[in-house]
Amino acid sequence: MDGFLLLLWVMRLVFLALLYLVLARVMRSLLRDLRAAAREPTTSLGRLIVLESPSGEPATGLSFDLDAITTLGRDVNNAIVVEDPFASSEHAVLTFRGRSWYVEDTSSTNGTYLNGRRIEDVAAMGYGDEMSIGQVRLRLERARTT
Amino acid sequence: MQSGASRRRPLGRTIIHVALVLSLAFGVLAGAGGYWAVFRAPELVRAPDDPAVIAAARTVPRGRILDRDGVVLADNERGPKGELQRVYKGRAISQVVGYASSRYGRAGLELAFDAELSGLASDPLNDALRKFGADPYDPQDLTLSLSYGLQKAAIAALGDFRGAVVMLDPTTGEVLALASTPTYDASKVADPATARQSFEALQADKGEPLLPRATLGRYVPGSVFKIVTAIAGLGSGAITPATTYKEQPGAEKNGLLVDGFRVRDGHHVTTRSKALDFIEATEASCNIWFALTGLQIGGKEFVDYAGRLGFGAPLPFDLPTAISQVTGGSGSAPGGFKDDVELANAAYGQAETFVTPLQMALVASVVANGGELLRPRLVTAFAGKAGKREVGPETLRRVIDAQAASSIMEAMVAAVEGDLGRRFTAGSKVRGVTTAGKSGTAELGGTGEPHSWFIGFAPADAPKVAIAVVVEQGGRGAEIASPIAGDLMTRYLAANP
Amino acid sequence: MTVAPDIGARRAPLAQSARAGRRRRIQPRARWGEARLLLLVAVTLLVGSISLGATLTGAFVPYDARDLAIYLGALLVAHLAQVLAGRRSDQILLPVMGMLGGISLLLMQRLPQGLVTMNLGATELGLGEVQLLWLVLAIALATVVGVAVRSDRWLRRYKYTWAALGIGLLLLAFVLGTDIGGSRLSVRIGPFSGQPSELLKVILVVFLAGYLSENRSLLIEQDTRVGPLRLPPLPYLAPMVAMWAIALGIVVIQRDLGAALLFFAVFLALVYAATGRVSLVVIGLVLFLAGSALMAALFGHVRARIDVWLDPFGDPLGAGYQIVQSLHAFARGGLLGVGLGNGLPLVGGRIPIPEVHTDFPLAALGEELGLVGMVAILALYLVIVQRGLRIGAAAADDFRAILATGLALVIGVQAFIIAAGNLSVLPLTGVTLPLISYGGSSLLANALVVGLLLALSDKGVEPPPPPGRRGWLSRLPGRGR
Repeated sequence: MDGFLLLLWVMRLVFLALLYLVLARVMRSLLRDLRAAAREPTTSLGRLIVLESPSGEPATGLSFDLDAITTLGRDVNNAIVVEDPFASSEHAVLTFRGRSWYVEDTSSTNGTYLNGRRIEDVAAMGYGDEMSIGQVRLRLERARTT
Repeated sequence: MQSGASRRRPLGRTIIHVALVLSLAFGVLAGAGGYWAVFRAPELVRAPDDPAVIAAARTVPRGRILDRDGVVLADNERGPKGELQRVYKGRAISQVVGYASSRYGRAGLELAFDAELSGLASDPLNDALRKFGADPYDPQDLTLSLSYGLQKAAIAALGDFRGAVVMLDPTTGEVLALASTPTYDASKVADPATARQSFEALQADKGEPLLPRATLGRYVPGSVFKIVTAIAGLGSGAITPATTYKEQPGAEKNGLLVDGFRVRDGHHVTTRSKALDFIEATEASCNIWFALTGLQIGGKEFVDYAGRLGFGAPLPFDLPTAISQVTGGSGSAPGGFKDDVELANAAYGQAETFVTPLQMALVASVVANGGELLRPRLVTAFAGKAGKREVGPETLRRVIDAQAASSIMEAMVAAVEGDLGRRFTAGSKVRGVTTAGKSGTAELGGTGEPHSWFIGFAPADAPKVAIAVVVEQGGRGAEIASPIAGDLMTRYLAANP
Repeated sequence: MTVAPDIGARRAPLAQSARAGRRRRIQPRARWGEARLLLLVAVTLLVGSISLGATLTGAFVPYDARDLAIYLGALLVAHLAQVLAGRRSDQILLPVMGMLGGISLLLMQRLPQGLVTMNLGATELGLGEVQLLWLVLAIALATVVGVAVRSDRWLRRYKYTWAALGIGLLLLAFVLGTDIGGSRLSVRIGPFSGQPSELLKVILVVFLAGYLSENRSLLIEQDTRVGPLRLPPLPYLAPMVAMWAIALGIVVIQRDLGAALLFFAVFLALVYAATGRVSLVVIGLVLFLAGSALMAALFGHVRARIDVWLDPFGDPLGAGYQIVQSLHAFARGGLLGVGLGNGLPLVGGRIPIPEVHTDFPLAALGEELGLVGMVAILALYLVIVQRGLRIGAAAADDFRAILATGLALVIGVQAFIIAAGNLSVLPLTGVTLPLISYGGSSLLANALVVGLLLALSDKGVEPPPPPGRRGWLSRLPGRGR
């Protein structure tokens, strides 16, 4: 095997090695990114405090940590089950999108009220705002910082 | 995001599922890559339709093929366009060496050793290293045990007859001549300019010149097959050299009644009413005696012993061989015979018995070699970049013990040198040397001349050459096959005293 | 209640609203991760180019230093443009695209240049130079889309318009299409020609993202029992059947098996991602198999592909020629390959694999870079897929999540289909190897995909609009509760 060919094969193998180096570097970035995502604190986005609940379901004074999507209604599949004669089985949804909260009435029979006013479809909701479903009153608050 | 999310989960989990499935699919791709690039690669990179192989065939000279004396049988030449093509020494070796044609592929040794000749043969490690070399091809020169002179003489002796001659050295298994007629000009097939015309003519030729009769021709053996019967009989202990049959002399006149079928014999002029022993029966070529021996051995034992000689499977040879058989094997009697009639007829080389000339040469050489079967060899050495690699003799198995072999030799000597035997084997004797042999006349049924056979070896006491000659429709063994064998053995022994 | 970590919306900084951010002056933002990766890619390509040059010319210099410099320059400009735009988008996609494109450039440079020619004024460009032109345009497109697209409103609002446009493209291909090798893939209008199915796949994903995100809840919640299967109410299956019909239509009208397979596979994957319902995928697969059997029974060209797939060596000089040659190429490559520029032995002055630059680049790369190199290339595609799916999982809402997932799958599934075809894992279908195959339509469409992924990956992108009206499925009868 002459010198030229030897060098040529070294180049060819170095190319393959570099290809894998690129791959390794990319993988490292991917893993770092995934780890960073996993490390991020999993505190909630906000809390919903039960101010008044005659039926006791939910119990008054209870505080729910909120998901990006939180469903409310009489059906047991809801994230927050609201036992009230005026509540529909799927009554309302609280969603956090972008930078703010929205409350959406999901075609309930008796409506969802925000700060005493019945909402149509969707309304933005700020921290400290009160919503009510039937006789149940709830207040949105900032998440506790741990 | 829409509302009403009782059973809805975050998208994350299903997305992970999708990612897993796709990763799995890509894993399958990597596996398939491994299958083709590693597992199947050794076969694919040597396939004659691989572009790299085709390209190499046009630029890398194939290895040469030489005979035992260094005569170049196959060489390369540049055609008018500068592309390489094969040229061959002569017509005599065409059915052995074959051809390598860009149009019609390969045949003969050119096919069997294509990988070595084109320089692609290698082990996996060398495969991996091969591409790092400047010149990745390592074509090997093949040295054959064949003697070009003897081969030419064999072809000349067969003349215009169709037939075959196989000669080998019984002590080493080296094939000295492997002649088939009619033959053809392989150089014309290899030359792109004449390939088409010449090949199409060869394919249309009724004489089947492309058929290597010595290895792929299957013939009714006739009386030469009695040596196989003798090997089975003595080997199995069913008979001894002294065995006689009292019903034999009578059956000479009226035929031997087996299951209501009469086995007849024609030539018994001089033996009159004497009950013959093994040697006498061989000398007289007594069909009745061998038919009785066949029945004595039994079908299963018979087929087993034939199997030890190489019957029933392709021979372990450097070229493809046809399968020789004692019986078609579809019958219900032991060994696959239909009944005792077939067994009795097979015992003297008729019925469903078919043999290749190479197989019969091996039968002669087993007797010559004291009962041991050696692997027949054509290629004795490979010579490439890494030097020369010899292929030595290889004992396949012991067929019979030396004493049985010696008895059969004695009988075969009688068949050539005895007063009666001489009549059937005229011309096969090598002058000044004790010669052993057996002639055969294979009746084909219907009209037409029978095939003429001879198998034998010489010198009988220290054999140097074994031979099988078949001449298609040449008449009685004595008339044509025997003198050819005698001449060729004489010629070889004169050159190799 | 816990918060699913996949929903990334909360990671958007609460303090600054997007509106305020847009009014602020754009500030450059360093992208060191991308810069480092790009530098490594550049070094790798330089070594590859020198190895190619040494093989073809016998001297250790880059095979075509000018073209390589232009290509690396384009990557540098793309990087700087993103730095200046100051967006916090993904830093891995551009280097990976650059690596694949660079491999493509090296491959096209070493193939016979006469395979494709283009007249640019007085000069005639060969295959390598034409591909370089498209690669630079593709990088430019990806960058412009990645930098400039700050809102996805135009995508989500007009999904039925997009669907109509897609069907229009399909009809266009049928009416104006020119037949190439039995497939009606290419449309020529004046001096421009292109393959509509390449753009169609992006439009399809946009439409599906809109449709599925709107109707996701309904598809998940409602049940109809059909034997052992729990299905959404039958009207909700209409889109599935429609998609199936469109896929079959593509096979019948365009004779484009690859596009049909790609669309249907991406569709099924997205339906699963959006609903998590295996039953829908099962139905889809059953429909797919039934459709395949129907097509095979009706059309000779479909049956021929399947026959060749089942026994590639059955007709090595006829129908199976391409695939057999492809497999031989992989075999010649072995583990480490024969080296760039050293493969594809010419027979009678012709390369052994027809259409190597569009349909079989992976076979050529498998020969020259070996199994090792091929696996690396496949892994790069998986990286793109991973990035896209990650962007999808972290997206602020369903539309973006499904859109990013779909975009990533379009590249990943297409790469799989053609690679599987080259390796005889699936019947061969004529799709391109994304970002590597020769071809303007293919390169630009896939660059558009990368560009959209870049744009979607920006954590500071405009927040999704508040929930609006529901999808049309909610107005169907049977929804009552």
